[in-house]
Amino acid sequence: MISLPGSARLFCDGLSRRNFLRIGSLGMGGIALPQLLQAESESGIRSSHKAVIMVYLPGGPPHQDTFDLKLDAPAEIRGEFRPISTNLPGLQICEHLPRLARLADKYSVIRSIADGVDEHTDFMCQTGRRHNNAPPGGWPTMGACVSRVLGSAEGVPAFVGLEPRMQHRPYNAANAGFAGVANDAFRPAADAKGDMVLNGITPERLSDRRGLLAELDRFRRDVDGSGLMSGLDGFNRQAFGMLTSSRLLAALDLSKEDPRVLERYGKGDPKVHGDAAPMLNEQFCVARRLVEAGARFVTVAYGFWDYHGNNFGNARKDLPLFDQGLSALIQDIHDRALDKDVTVIAWGEFGRSPTINKDGGRDHWPQVTSALLAGGGLRHGQVIGSTDRLGGEPSERPVKFGEVFATLYHALGVDVNKVTLPDLTGRPQYLVPDGCQPMREMV
Amino acid sequence: MGAGIRNPQMNHNTKTHSDRSCVGRGTPRVSFRRWVPGLMLLFTALASRADTMQLGFRSGTNRLVLHGQDATQQVLATRKDAQGLESDVTAGVKWTVAPAGIASVDPGGRLRPLGDGTATLKARLADGSEATMAVEVTGSGVSEQVHFANQIVPVFTKNGCNGGGCHGKAAGQNGFRLSLLGFEPAEDFEHLVKESRGRRLFPAAPERSLLLTKGTAQLPHGGGRRLDPNSDDYSLLVRWIRQGMPVGRADAPTVARLEVFPAQRTMKSDATQQLAVTAHYSDGSTEDVTYGALYEANEKDVARADEKGRVKVFNLPGEFAVMVRYQGKVTTFRGTVPLGAPVASLPTANNFIDGLIFKRLREVGMPPSPVTDDETFLRRVTVDIAGRLPTPSELAAFRADGSVGRRDNVVARLVDSPEYADWFANKWSALLRNRRGDARQTRGALAFHGWIRDQMQRNTPYNDFVREVLTASGDIAENPPVAWFRQVSSLQSQLEDSAQLFLGQRLQCAQCHHHPYERWSQQDYWSFGAFFAQVGRKPGSQPGEDVVFHRRGVAKATNKKNGQAVRPAGLGVPLDEMGPDVDPRGALADWMTSPQNPWFARALVNRYWKHFFGRGLVDPEDDMRDTNPPTNPELLEALAAHFVKSGYDLKDLVRTLAGSTTYQLSAEPNEHNARDRHHFSRFYPRRLHAEVLLDAVHGVLGAESRFEGLPPGTRAVSLPDNSFNSGSYFLTVFGRPDASSSCECERSLDASLSQALHLLNSKDLQTKLSADSGYAARLAGDTARSEEARLTELYRVALGRDPRKEELGTSQAYLTRKIAAAKDDAGRVKARREAFEDTVWALVNTKEFLFNH
Repeated sequence: MISLPGSARLFCDGLSRRNFLRIGSLGMGGIALPQLLQAESESGIRSSHKAVIMVYLPGGPPHQDTFDLKLDAPAEIRGEFRPISTNLPGLQICEHLPRLARLADKYSVIRSIADGVDEHTDFMCQTGRRHNNAPPGGWPTMGACVSRVLGSAEGVPAFVGLEPRMQHRPYNAANAGFAGVANDAFRPAADAKGDMVLNGITPERLSDRRGLLAELDRFRRDVDGSGLMSGLDGFNRQAFGMLTSSRLLAALDLSKEDPRVLERYGKGDPKVHGDAAPMLNEQFCVARRLVEAGARFVTVAYGFWDYHGNNFGNARKDLPLFDQGLSALIQDIHDRALDKDVTVIAWGEFGRSPTINKDGGRDHWPQVTSALLAGGGLRHGQVIGSTDRLGGEPSERPVKFGEVFATLYHALGVDVNKVTLPDLTGRPQYLVPDGCQPMREMV
Repeated sequence: MGAGIRNPQMNHNTKTHSDRSCVGRGTPRVSFRRWVPGLMLLFTALASRADTMQLGFRSGTNRLVLHGQDATQQVLATRKDAQGLESDVTAGVKWTVAPAGIASVDPGGRLRPLGDGTATLKARLADGSEATMAVEVTGSGVSEQVHFANQIVPVFTKNGCNGGGCHGKAAGQNGFRLSLLGFEPAEDFEHLVKESRGRRLFPAAPERSLLLTKGTAQLPHGGGRRLDPNSDDYSLLVRWIRQGMPVGRADAPTVARLEVFPAQRTMKSDATQQLAVTAHYSDGSTEDVTYGALYEANEKDVARADEKGRVKVFNLPGEFAVMVRYQGKVTTFRGTVPLGAPVASLPTANNFIDGLIFKRLREVGMPPSPVTDDETFLRRVTVDIAGRLPTPSELAAFRADGSVGRRDNVVARLVDSPEYADWFANKWSALLRNRRGDARQTRGALAFHGWIRDQMQRNTPYNDFVREVLTASGDIAENPPVAWFRQVSSLQSQLEDSAQLFLGQRLQCAQCHHHPYERWSQQDYWSFGAFFAQVGRKPGSQPGEDVVFHRRGVAKATNKKNGQAVRPAGLGVPLDEMGPDVDPRGALADWMTSPQNPWFARALVNRYWKHFFGRGLVDPEDDMRDTNPPTNPELLEALAAHFVKSGYDLKDLVRTLAGSTTYQLSAEPNEHNARDRHHFSRFYPRRLHAEVLLDAVHGVLGAESRFEGLPPGTRAVSLPDNSFNSGSYFLTVFGRPDASSSCECERSLDASLSQALHLLNSKDLQTKLSADSGYAARLAGDTARSEEARLTELYRVALGRDPRKEELGTSQAYLTRKIAAAKDDAGRVKARREAFEDTVWALVNTKEFLFNH
């Protein structure tokens, strides 16, 4: 393992950030540029800095204790939290989200996502689909679709998943499906983690090896008309770049970040919560750095929100961390003028029950949940939809997960009415479920 | 979109007609004169000048009649050079019609009527050569009643209104729904004319109709501007609305088939070809639908087709097809872009494959690479037949075999080896979806895999193999192929899998609507499904296992489109009625495995062709549509015939494929064939499959694989099912399929950063590389042998060949440099060990190792 003395900051669970190998910026990595260019020209987009950062909140946070407080509900439903005003007249959110309250003009809250499924899995949040009746190969995550459709423009994988392998495996259920494993997320905090630190050899020895490989690997590349060999070379260059300067590693390396900016994101909590994820606020910053470096879709899994017991005690601890991290991210993309290009979304797989159970918790509630969207050149400073007096059912503008995905694609410049990917039977599949269009309130 | 110009199809009265069909119509017709080029005339023409030009629009006739106000005709000008090669000059000639007032012609060669009479169409090239054609115009002033299904629906199709992304979606778009690609005109009429209280159409002021104001984007329209108000399409819609939106005559003819002219052509790089498309109607009449048809090329880097039927090829040699669609019918234009290089010599042909491949190479002027060397051949064929690398002792034995037939001997030995059965059982297990979802399925998954492997080893004829699967009944323990019905559990998946896997026919689309690129309807789909309608299940002897049996009853399924019961029918082939005691799956197997079945043998030989040659003769290999033609049809036919004649002998097929000279060509391109992707003029390399690669890496590292529940050292290619993927990041990241579909496309051979990192730097591989028991340690410790001997052995293990002099030099220099840097004896031992590790590591990461080449 490389260890550079003095690099005390930790990334994820305990790895020195400097231990991450650096990934070079060379090469397109075998991804079809023409598809990217075609997709962009069809959608009228010239540049390709569009990206999405998705914060997945495993377990499903309580919508009525965050963005949809129910002051008119009876006490046993209303809960303990008080609302506070935001900088958007008429919008109040939970008192434990004070920083987000000051930024309410920069995001939209959807209060009426109505087609959740009562299953602890990231599937709906990553694909917008139910996993039953999937076509052969399975529904792909949006990140994999984006990787396949838009390709990677820089020396950074198009799709980076910062989430760890979570103990409850369905929190990592969604995968590349029929988009193909090569488009699956690059996972520096999970599967690829072990491959990113040098295993038992020194950097000098890797350098020697690389030199030897370059001399021995003289096989004629032109025997391969498919471009795969040169694609492999590109990925090898990226992988080797890990010990020198590289965009990906630099993006992952927060020691390169302005400490004042980093401080705004807060410390979070590196401990794994429940059977899900830690609350690594710095990952929000890493995500921003990754999209700046060229990634198109970055996912973060944050905390554990399955509050079957002690709902308010847990939320009192978790919400301030979330508030700090997410508000810093939203502010940051505005400060860096990324707000027209980078969409941020935070949500969980479902909401929580109006009734507070005997353990002071709230149970699963797929009937309705909330989501927060910021940036992406979308229209913000609004609340979309509403729930009934008890926060139990949508009362206005029920929204499907698929509509939110259509909106995210729109923000990326991908026309969901045009672009299809073939499933494993060759059938062209649209990127979002039938009938889902970008949400008119935001586009 | 929106080619603007439309071509008429009111009813049968406004088309050009053949004389056979005009009897009793009451409209004057001019009968065809068969156009038969006189040989003498042709010779004279060829003798008198180098090039000749001809006009044409359809095969078999050049009698051109425009009847009715909407009639049009696309005419092609074709130049033939002294060698007899034809090229399209439609866009390069000056078109005129004389006398004036009869017809007009646009610069693209498209004729429209002006007034009744006869005229002469003339095309003149810049070099002065000319060609003429007589034109007759009749009925030009007659305005006919518009026919909804024959004239209006194609407008929606051509302009993209009824596409799957717009109103053709099952749910429609913003409340307005059309049937996908206009397959259901009656529904379209209902939705357009009657739904929403008729608000979409306004006969009193047709131009104010919502249909037109939206379509032209005068009102906001999510789909943008699809219609040009100056187009023929627009004026046709206006006329139809003004006429009061007639349905049209109920007995109007329907499109029986499409014809594209020319049907095929050899085209030079960067050339264009105008197509002329004729719809042949059920009453024998014809119509020019060049502007109404849709075009799509299958090899988009070879050729593209625009909406006006112009095909443009680029500078990539190859074969391509342009699918032409109109009113649910499809046809195909086939093009070849030859390279045109001299083919001075060809290698010796080993069997009929080579004769047909070499014939094509001569035709397209693509000189093949030479036959590859023995070492490369041995590695290639061992990977493809046995799913592993050759061992040094195999290499030595092969070298020692001085006989002429030594390559055939290797093939024969490998086909009879147990590894052949492992490797092809791996292939078929994935395709037959041998999955293990939970522990209760362990017995079934192992039994099914074992059964498949036995059939491969025993060389069960393929027709019997498929019959055993399709008709499997009983308990998994006694009859393992019953497991297929466990994973492929619904009637739909059974019919779809069996059609795609065994017949190369993708029927999925036809479940919900007429197949857009194929002839298959929902009737065909459900009739095929009816074979599986009587598959019964009951709990088996163990939990999680089903006994499959024939549920007594007359087999029928329900066509979801019209709710009618349908009897079992092979695709387009109705079968005799079956009694309630007859398991219809037997009849399915009879029909499918009959030597007369047009797909069964072809699908298999094509699948195996792809296995050995990297690309199917039809590609994708399980999409054998009429509109996706083979690159070498004769060869596909010959292989299928050979396979049938052999008694569906899979091992014989493998020997035939691997024994051909074509298979044994070098991958290295010559100065002409680097970009060949269709003609097999050289071997197309591909990355080793995940399982083979993992076994190969383990082999070179001197390590054993460990899979949960299996003995150490179990090779990845002999894993029985998909359940080991989740425990092996290597297999997952290198794309081992999860057996969740019957498509080989589930296997990913693409590259990714995760793969590169894993192979370069995973802890697992580093640990194995540097283990004391590993191959690198053994090589380093074997100081009794010279470095050269050890490095030579390493090359033989990893790459199946001896190192070249410069490779040996590089490796030895590396060893020397590393060892010299050490300070003492212990340091030197360590350095030597590490240097060997580094060398092993480097070879494993070379492209030569990663690819079968």
